[in-house]
Amino acid sequence: MDQTTSDAAIVAGGMTGTELLQHVDRDGAVQQTMAAAVSRSGFLKTALFGAGALFAALNVPGAIAASNDSPNDTAILNYLLTLERVQAAFFGEAERVAAISGRELQAAKIIGAVERAHVAALLERLGAKAIASPSFDFLGTTEDPEAFIKTAVAFEDLGSVSIAGVLPDIQAPAIRTIVASVHTPEARHAGWIRTLAGVDPAPNAIEGVNTQAETLKLVNGTGFIVSEPLTTATLSPSFTG
Amino acid sequence: MVVAVFLTVFGERQALAGTAGSTRSAPAPLTPAFGVPEPKRLGERASAQWAPVHQSAKVRVDADAASAAVAPLPLATPEQTTNVVQVLDRRPTTSGVWVRVRVPGVPKGKEGWVPRKALGSPRSVATELLVDRARHRVTLTRHGRVVFTAPAAVGASGSPTPSGSFYIRNRLTRYRSAFYGPIAFGTSARSAVLTDWPAGGFIGIHGTNRPELIPGNVSHGCVRLRNRDILRLDAIMPIGTPVTIT
Repeated sequence: MDQTTSDAAIVAGGMTGTELLQHVDRDGAVQQTMAAAVSRSGFLKTALFGAGALFAALNVPGAIAASNDSPNDTAILNYLLTLERVQAAFFGEAERVAAISGRELQAAKIIGAVERAHVAALLERLGAKAIASPSFDFLGTTEDPEAFIKTAVAFEDLGSVSIAGVLPDIQAPAIRTIVASVHTPEARHAGWIRTLAGVDPAPNAIEGVNTQAETLKLVNGTGFIVSEPLTTATLSPSFTG
Repeated sequence: MVVAVFLTVFGERQALAGTAGSTRSAPAPLTPAFGVPEPKRLGERASAQWAPVHQSAKVRVDADAASAAVAPLPLATPEQTTNVVQVLDRRPTTSGVWVRVRVPGVPKGKEGWVPRKALGSPRSVATELLVDRARHRVTLTRHGRVVFTAPAAVGASGSPTPSGSFYIRNRLTRYRSAFYGPIAFGTSARSAVLTDWPAGGFIGIHGTNRPELIPGNVSHGCVRLRNRDILRLDAIMPIGTPVTIT
C-alpha cells in the first residue's frame, strides 16, 4: 500500500489487510489456523507451499496467451485468479462437507457458485497464460460452523479490498471494467456474510485497499495453500498379488 | 427524485452543448474485455470423502483423546505414499472437531475417531468400485452410473479376497514387476490369511502377466484385471474411491 492510500485509510478509520483480517477474526479463528499451520508436524511443513513459491508462480511469464493482454494485466488477472480460486475452493469445500447448515450453508452455495463463475471467466480470458491452481487445506475451517463464518468474513473482506487494490494498476480499460464489475458482487458477499456473522456489514465510509504483496502475504500466512498429497509412487508393489 | 433532477439537468446541458455547435462526440460505451458466466452450481453430491494424514495419531473409539485406541494412524503407507483415510462423519467438541474415519484393519477394516488437525483437507469423489467375487467382475460407477466394467480374478480358496467396505489408498506405476501389470492400486483391505505377508498383506487391484487366468479364483487375495482393463480403470478412478467387495 502506498503512503497516500495508507494515509487515506487511517484518516477514514479504515484498515490494512492485516488489520482487517484481525478485526473480523475477533475470536481468533483465522489466527488459530495460522498458529496451527506453524506448529504442525515437520511432514506438513515440508509439504507447505512456501510463500516464495506462490510469488514465483504469479510472476512466471507464462506461455503465449490466446489474447493480447499486456504482461502487466496478465499478471494481475492471474493474481485475481488465485484469489478467486481460494474463495471458490473454500466455499465449495464447505458445501461438500456440509458441516454447516441453514443460512450459512445457503450463503456458501450461492457465494461459491459466483466464485466458480469468476474463476471460469478468468481462466477463459487467460487461456494458456493461466497459472496452475495451488492445492488448499482450510485446516478445518469449513468443518466447524463458527470457524467457517469467521473465515468466510475474512475471505470476502480480503477479496473486496484486494480487487479494489489492483484496479488502478490495470492498463486496459476493458479489463478494468470487468474487474470492477467482479468487485461489486465481492463487496455484496462481504456485507452479506458479515451480517450472518453479526458484524457490522459496512463499518466505514471509506476503506483502504490491499496491494498484491499484502494480500499474498496474508493468504500464504494462513497456511491454507499446501502441496498435493503424494498418492502415486514407483515402488514395486508388496500387495498379496 | 434527486437522480431524476440530475438527469434532467445533465440532459439539458448536453442539449445546450449540442446547440452550441460542438463537434465533440460522446465516447462509445466501453465494452468489457470478457464476460462472467452465470453462477456455477456444484455437481451432484459426492459418493465419499477422503483426507490425507498430516499428523500421525491414534484412531480412537470415540471423539475423545481419553478413549481407547483401536488402530494407529501412520503418516505413510508401506509404499511410502501419503496415508489417506476415508472420512465418514464429523463431530465438533470442546477440544476441536473430530472426524470418524475408516482405516485398514483385519478382516474388514476399522472405524474410529481422529482429531481433525491430524488430517489434511477433505476431498470428494463421485466414484464407487464394486468387486463381485461370485461373478468375477469389477464395476466402477460415477454418480451412480456405470462407467466401467471388466472381468476379474480374485482370491483362491486358501487366500480369499476379503469382503467389506474399503477404499483406494494409492497408485503404483513404472515399477519393475510384470506380475502386477502396468498399474497397481493399493486398497485399505488386508488379507485375513496372509497376515505375515511383507508390508502387512494389503490387497491390491492390479494388472497381470497371466491374463489367461481371468476370470477365476486364483490370486493371493488381490483383484487382478487384464492389463488393458487396469489401464482403462486408471484413467477414471481417483484415489479415495470407495471399494465394496461382495
